[in-house]
Amino acid sequence: MAKMNAPAIRLQGLKKRYGTGEAAVDALKGVDMTVAPGEVIGLIGPSGSGKSTLLKCLGAVIEPSAGRMEISGQAIYDDRWKIADLRALRRDQIGFVFQAPYLIPFLDVTDNVALLPMLAGMSNGQARLRARELLEALDVGHRANAQISQLSGGEQQRVAIARALANHPPVILADEPTAPLDSERALTVVRILNEMAVQFRTAIIVVTHDEKIIPTFRRIYRIRDGKTVEEAGEGRQV
Amino acid sequence: MINLASRDILHGWGKFLFTGIGLGLLVGLTLSMAGIYRGLVEDGRMLIDNSGADLWVVQQGTLGPYAEPSNLRDDVYRSIVGLPGVAETGNVAYLSMQVSHGAKDVRVMLVGFESGRPGQPGYLIAGRPVTRSHYEAIADEKTGFHVGDHVRIRRHEYEVVGLTRRMVSASGDPMIFVPLKDAQEVQFLKDNDALINERARTAANPAFNRPNVPGLLEAVQSSQAQSHQVNAVLVRIEPDADADVVAENIRRWKRLQAYTKAQMDDILVVKLIATSAKQIALFLVILSAVSAAIVAFIIYSLTMNKVREIAVLKLIGARNSTIAGMILQQALGLGMIGFIVGRIVAGMWAPVFPKYVLLLPGDALRGFVVVMIICALASVVAIRAALRIDPAEAIGG
Repeated sequence: MAKMNAPAIRLQGLKKRYGTGEAAVDALKGVDMTVAPGEVIGLIGPSGSGKSTLLKCLGAVIEPSAGRMEISGQAIYDDRWKIADLRALRRDQIGFVFQAPYLIPFLDVTDNVALLPMLAGMSNGQARLRARELLEALDVGHRANAQISQLSGGEQQRVAIARALANHPPVILADEPTAPLDSERALTVVRILNEMAVQFRTAIIVVTHDEKIIPTFRRIYRIRDGKTVEEAGEGRQV
Repeated sequence: MINLASRDILHGWGKFLFTGIGLGLLVGLTLSMAGIYRGLVEDGRMLIDNSGADLWVVQQGTLGPYAEPSNLRDDVYRSIVGLPGVAETGNVAYLSMQVSHGAKDVRVMLVGFESGRPGQPGYLIAGRPVTRSHYEAIADEKTGFHVGDHVRIRRHEYEVVGLTRRMVSASGDPMIFVPLKDAQEVQFLKDNDALINERARTAANPAFNRPNVPGLLEAVQSSQAQSHQVNAVLVRIEPDADADVVAENIRRWKRLQAYTKAQMDDILVVKLIATSAKQIALFLVILSAVSAAIVAFIIYSLTMNKVREIAVLKLIGARNSTIAGMILQQALGLGMIGFIVGRIVAGMWAPVFPKYVLLLPGDALRGFVVVMIICALASVVAIRAALRIDPAEAIGG
């Protein structure tokens, strides 16, 4: 059960090993991390440092090898999965924002956002209502009936953020969400993520290489050789 | 819940529609093949029904007159007409041949019939019945002849005085009806050169050319120049008579073969077109397999073009059944378009076929079910591939 006042995410000694025997590679060697509800943190590190592996473990798409993982105080992994239905876990408790928006091209803007609540069992009408509210909050309400191909890159990324928020998950994983955007748009996306984190009390982990946005984080986890080091960020206002 | 399949179809409707049309042409070809088979069966049945006979009396030991050659003397009918249960008889002669008409040749079945007796054309759609004893003809409309046309059949020219419809042989050739005497001459009478040679040969035979028997040679030669053969005697029985009993009496007492309608149906529909039916059945199987392969390839390609979208759907919590349902519905949608297009084009090009193509609603329904099953089975490959897509593919790295 989710606990009040518990961290949105807590990782303790999380490890991931690929392969076995002499060919085994330790991608994560004991990651510790705590993220509070409504907090936005940066996860940075060079290529091959284990960022994507950590993101996949957090997203419950690959199984860690050891350690413990909690979402909102509920143990998700403790040397084995503690949740039977990982699909429902991803749907209800984890939002995803990708480097490219990866929206469903054959659905319009509203239905791209409304799809998640519908998958969770919400009625079409209610899901669309929630989608429109989110789109309004993200300043793309005027494109609610547009096709995805009619949107600019920045608008698509806002719709992707709206989709990630659609089921009000306690955690959003953002994988280099500003990579294809120019400075102005990148900072706008960061501002939106910060606003949404506060508004919905959602913890957001932003994996990034983007030097433009790194100064905006109050806390940063730097990952190197499968281990994380917590650093204080500049927390620059955007 | 949103119907993902219909949204995807509407989003790329052009690609989907053109693919469906391509599949539809293949389905149309398959339906036409089934229609050709039905046409063969129907032609056989029409031949039986249009003859107006209840029994076919033919040469003993043959499957005549349509499936095998059969020769009878043209006075055999006299001994048959007196049997109990026999109402009417008619001599008939059948001959498949080429008939010249202007610059073109037409493959026809020439039918010699006795006016007012079994074997005559059942109805006319133009012109009048044959009223003269010689050189008038009634033609099936598929010959392309018109009333008043003159056609040359062997030595003589015939005037087309009437037209009929759906009078074709078991192999689909249109029929031309002429008086029996004319048909006998066409079929059995030798040409002048052959007659001269035959007379010389007979005269050289001492058995026929005996010095002490005047008139024998002339009698033999005269008999060689006459034709008194027919291919069958068609029998119409009394309303209360049993066809099997009358046929048995003819077989037993007249030493002739007699077939009832059911037996003739078996000869024409089962035996005569058995090879063609197997040929068509094999074509149907091949076309079905080709259709399945094409649908499988198309659906697989459409699915593989959506790997990223499917990975995202799985990542955000879509059930496998949702994704499988989307692919299955698209396959069935493609099948639906293919069937509708196929049924329309099969109906459009059926009249162009030289042989009768009979498109039955029942066959169309069966075709629809088969197309849907094929599409459902063909989508299995794509569904398996989609379910193997790792949701982690949506996350880079």
